[in-house]
Amino acid sequence: MNAPDPIERPLDGVKVIDLSLGLSGGYCTKMLRGLGAEVIKVEPRDRGDDVRSIGPFLNDKPNIETSAPFLYLTQGKKSVAMDIERPEGRQIIRRLVGESDAVVESFKPGYLSGVGLDYESLAEDNPTLIMASISYFGQEGPYSQYEGSEIVAYAFSGYMYITGDPDREPLKAGGYQSEYHGGISAAMAVVAALNYRDLTGEGQYIDVSTVEATASTFEGVSYYSLLEREGVLPRRKGTRLIHTSSRAPYPSTLLPCKDGWVHVHYSPSFPDGLATLTGNSRLAENEVMTAMAGHADEIDQGVTDWMKDLTREEVFELSQELRIPFTKVQSIPEVMSDPQNEARGFFREADHPVAGMLKYPGTPLAPWGDEDLPSRAPLLGEHTDEVLRDTLGLSDGEMERLRAEGVI
Amino acid sequence: MASNSKKPLPLTGVRVLDLTNVIAGPVATRMLSHLGAEVIKIELPWGRSVGNMAIFTTDKKVERPYNKNAGFNEVNRAKKSLALDLADPRGKAIFEELVSVSDLVIENYSPRVMPNLGLAYEHLRTLRPDLIMVAMPALGSPGPWSDYVSFGPGTEGLGGMCHVTGYEDGPPSKPGNFYSDQTSAFHVATAIMSAMWKRRRTGQGKRLEIVLRDVTMAVIGEKFLEYQLTGRGPGRVGNQHHGMAPHNVYRCKGEDAWVAIAVASDEEFAKLANTTGNPDWKTDARFASMSARLQNQAALDALIQEWTLQRTPQEAMHRLQASGVRAGAVLKAPDALVDPQYQSRGFVDYTHHPEGGEFKHPGVSFKSSGPLTSLGRRAPLFAEHSDWAIGELLGHSSSTAETLHDEGVAPLVPVVRK
Repeated sequence: MNAPDPIERPLDGVKVIDLSLGLSGGYCTKMLRGLGAEVIKVEPRDRGDDVRSIGPFLNDKPNIETSAPFLYLTQGKKSVAMDIERPEGRQIIRRLVGESDAVVESFKPGYLSGVGLDYESLAEDNPTLIMASISYFGQEGPYSQYEGSEIVAYAFSGYMYITGDPDREPLKAGGYQSEYHGGISAAMAVVAALNYRDLTGEGQYIDVSTVEATASTFEGVSYYSLLEREGVLPRRKGTRLIHTSSRAPYPSTLLPCKDGWVHVHYSPSFPDGLATLTGNSRLAENEVMTAMAGHADEIDQGVTDWMKDLTREEVFELSQELRIPFTKVQSIPEVMSDPQNEARGFFREADHPVAGMLKYPGTPLAPWGDEDLPSRAPLLGEHTDEVLRDTLGLSDGEMERLRAEGVI
Repeated sequence: MASNSKKPLPLTGVRVLDLTNVIAGPVATRMLSHLGAEVIKIELPWGRSVGNMAIFTTDKKVERPYNKNAGFNEVNRAKKSLALDLADPRGKAIFEELVSVSDLVIENYSPRVMPNLGLAYEHLRTLRPDLIMVAMPALGSPGPWSDYVSFGPGTEGLGGMCHVTGYEDGPPSKPGNFYSDQTSAFHVATAIMSAMWKRRRTGQGKRLEIVLRDVTMAVIGEKFLEYQLTGRGPGRVGNQHHGMAPHNVYRCKGEDAWVAIAVASDEEFAKLANTTGNPDWKTDARFASMSARLQNQAALDALIQEWTLQRTPQEAMHRLQASGVRAGAVLKAPDALVDPQYQSRGFVDYTHHPEGGEFKHPGVSFKSSGPLTSLGRRAPLFAEHSDWAIGELLGHSSSTAETLHDEGVAPLVPVVRK
């Protein structure tokens, strides 16, 4: 990232109570933390956030302190370990929320009303509270009580039907895309609600469905109108875009070269650039140029013939010299050490008492000068004493009692 | 969420000059407009940059195709349109006047373009000291690739997403369509609204650079930790999950019909076994524990598919969900339009466009108890708000506006590209 900026981080001073136990809430509050908010994560006192149980783990040994997704998602947050189903635990949550700007949660819809921690109850102590609930299908509607998971939401959003090869089964994207999409949608809604609170002095209850969040990414391809208007069902097309017209621009796809794969893409400002790059004049002929998508197979063949004796690096450099937007497919280790990430210092080291020294990707939400952000995940309950004593003013005696009773 | 005219929206009073094209930028500003901002799209004088989105305008016999592009009319909902030649000094002057009465300028050109037009942040902030300016480069700066060109899909290759997406026995793949553009748009809108909130407290503007590839890396961030913790470079696992089995899609009755099923515990597996009429699976040594199921997924998947093949995706989903098994139909676009859950939540956004006709769009990604968004607003016609911007907003005479129209500086119909 760039050098520290003179202005502070945008959400400095915003306090978020994170009751979420899962990937979507984790990504939401990770983004808010990256923007400067203080995030206090409340975890069940025995096993912690569910994400702590999702591997892989350090040396493949399950350990709630070394889960890869947990270490990533929880960087810089505080951990308070507590039993929220106990009346005293509930009271502590209400007091914490009373001094906070926002709450994020991802329990099954209805659960929090059962323990008296729903929005109406929490807003009694904090009338300007912003609360975001993230679920798979939404808080309301006939499927609100359905069980979900990342792949289920990806499927039910429709995104799975447009991912994968046309002659094979629908494919899930790598990682936890529908969960993270729910997360960033909730973060966006919370920040919008902060702006709204400035204008009106009012809080807000936000209902994010990871299914809908993922489906909301169908913009720009007329996904829901295509069948009716063009008679075409949007369907997976391998690594090609889901165009329907033979006259659409092309290529935008992955093709093989000597040592791997290249993302090849046409240049709108250099339409006959493919012919120049590959030396294949057929690719500049009018017949091809006026119906590029209609000649997709022929274009793929022409580009592949040119690339078959070239490395990814050679293709990348030769195309970029002509300002043709080809890029190379890099593995995870290659991404971590590529010259652009090195020059920008995108990956940053942080030491963790159990997981050790690791490099973490930086925040994608612009360089705000976040050098001083705490940069590792907390141990389970690491900040219980600090938060309860310093924020809520509990005495040592009270904390001793809560600990003895198994509340904290 | 119906809009409530008595109450403001989160970005009411915020004016945005939108220089972005194609997908990621326009989707981000579309979110801002639905959240209450007044977004003025500054269009190229020679017409709309349809790029990837030339879906409905390929018929040369269509009149005014630039007003009928379905992709354009989707990502530019609820915006205003002014066509302006920024390379002409008069066009640049109009733009500078607009900057002085705006809060935000956003662009997604390659990094050289704005400085070459004489419209870098350092200059624009002299016109509007608390201006927030957003750039959306593909690869960011500094670094040897800073000036390299890429669209969103290309950043998925460079950022590792392609390497970890694909069938377990196949080559690198990618999420369908423009995934990284879309997810970047969400991140950009979040960063912008944070900056707006901060500006209200400090009075200070800021230049933000939100890098498409950074977002693409962030959404697979745990993969970088996985590599370091296990010593193995993460690869492609298809539809499988390292800790859940079964975890896949299963063919159903019907053409290209599928249901996704995920089982996270032995308890859930027992429900699956019972619901599909196979209680013996629970005691079958191949399937009795999660580790056994992870070892024998292919055999189990084949057995599950015998059951799903007798049912439509929706039937399979509802049967399994009724007993608490995580299952979801692999939805096709028309399915969502009639699905009771989508319908009950009013997800789809319907607009009527005077030249493009009726459209159905994906709606906003969250619901709220208050007026956070307003839907149902169409995209502008080309240069529809030219007279409003030049006359009403900036106070120029109608003869000045006419000259700018006629000489192609602020044309009302696309001009031939110089």
